[in-house]
Amino acid sequence: MTETPTETARLLELRGIDKTFGTVQAVRGLTLSVPAGEFVTVVGPSGCGKSTLFNMVAGLDEPDPGGVLRFKGRSCHAHELLGRVSFMPQRDLLLPWRNVIDNAIIANEIEGADRKTARARALRMLPEFGLTGFEAQYPHQLSGGMRQRVALMRTFMFERELMLLDEPFGALDALTRSMMQRWLLDVWERHRRTVLFITHDVDEAIFLGDRVLVMTARPGSVKLARPVDLPRPRSAELVTSPEFIAIKREILAAIEEESMKSFMATGMRAA
Amino acid sequence: MSAALALTARRGAAGWRWAAPALLWLGRLILGLAIAAAVWEGAVLAFAIRPEYLPRLSAILATIAATPEAYVAGFLRTLLETLIGFAAGVVVGVLNGILFLRAPVLRDMLFPIFVVSQTIPVIAFGALVVLWFGNTLLAKAVIAFYLTFFPVTVNTLLGLQSVDPRQIALLRSFGASGRQLLLRLMLPAALPQIFVALRLGASLSLVGAIVGEWFGDTTGLGVILLQAMYTEQVTVMWAAILCAALLGTGFYAAVSLAERWLVFWGAEQ
Repeated sequence: MTETPTETARLLELRGIDKTFGTVQAVRGLTLSVPAGEFVTVVGPSGCGKSTLFNMVAGLDEPDPGGVLRFKGRSCHAHELLGRVSFMPQRDLLLPWRNVIDNAIIANEIEGADRKTARARALRMLPEFGLTGFEAQYPHQLSGGMRQRVALMRTFMFERELMLLDEPFGALDALTRSMMQRWLLDVWERHRRTVLFITHDVDEAIFLGDRVLVMTARPGSVKLARPVDLPRPRSAELVTSPEFIAIKREILAAIEEESMKSFMATGMRAA
Repeated sequence: MSAALALTARRGAAGWRWAAPALLWLGRLILGLAIAAAVWEGAVLAFAIRPEYLPRLSAILATIAATPEAYVAGFLRTLLETLIGFAAGVVVGVLNGILFLRAPVLRDMLFPIFVVSQTIPVIAFGALVVLWFGNTLLAKAVIAFYLTFFPVTVNTLLGLQSVDPRQIALLRSFGASGRQLLLRLMLPAALPQIFVALRLGASLSLVGAIVGEWFGDTTGLGVILLQAMYTEQVTVMWAAILCAALLGTGFYAAVSLAERWLVFWGAEQ
């Protein structure tokens, strides 16, 4: 009740975060903030510490001492975020001995929710995820796109303000991917969670995001934060509009610069 | 919609689709056994093999039929020893595997001792066990246990260690405790590996029980075998061997069936 607007507005805030693995500095001076309800996409050259960022925000890795990590306006350790954000890694990581419904409710089961109610809720969500009639199927009976939707459903079932999606569509073919993007926006507009979304694909980053963060080469930090002021709901034709292309040009230029840096760096090390 | 219909249709037909190959398989199995029996019977007759070397199958079956109680009692006794030893070996083996995963210090301390224990020939170990436990059912079960727990320990540890770390990270991000991780992820994921040891343990525990009986007892297939050897009753010896084969095969088949039922997702991942 007494929270100031800025506290509620900023769901997640990172300031001056470093992370070192042995002799490799994965992330240096990483600073970003995510307002509640925003869809933020993160792009950058490979090995730029995007996954390190996610692992820290998911609570799996502790950043080096010195930085500031704030969640819901309160400063905290990374491990305190375990169970407080809903995390979806690159692979679907479904459990092969659980059927679609039981895979979807695993996170709820872990937090101690009643299985029956969770199953009933998952059953009601099936149509929205295009899985009607597949509730009793096992992962090895599903296609890649369907498995990915089950994994997304698991992430949505675990109702947390912040969702972390790590290249959820990376393994899908281009056609399925663009369908899944539009579908995700549709679902997101109805549920309105805060999303942090990693991708390799610049089109995807612009098409989905309210804001695109471009990361620098390793050690990673935010090079550019570009607001995407394109109207929602967004349709497939948007990708070819001049406004879209302009944003894309700007982001590609930033990535290109960073890719060159990391390419030169690895080239030097190899030589 | 059509997908859903196809699904229910498939579920309805699944019973028959499953039953038909199973029946075919059973038919072939019985045919194979019948041919083997006929070859046995025929060879003994054709080559006039003396019954001291190889009695006719029909003579062996007649011997069993003459005093079935002795064989049934022996079968049940050996089965009980085998099952107790096997069950204890599985429980201890799985617990060892979990313990060794959690406490690498204990693993480094105890594992070499386990390995040494397994290099002791089971016969030598059997003599010791009888000294300690006397001529009891427990003594036989202990030997069956001794042969079972080690492979189960090794395979449980192996299975638990090879769980996908990304899967562990995912469940941890949902806030899973160590216990939840173990029960919901690691043990089920290790099941295929554990079952490899269970199939091995099924045969080994029977060996343990029979060897245990050789150190003295009054009932059991091992006892029948040993007595027949001393009194040179070759047909009785063969009868005991047949019973032991039946027990071993049945137990192995039961474990394999349990595996197919529990690890239905197969080699996926």
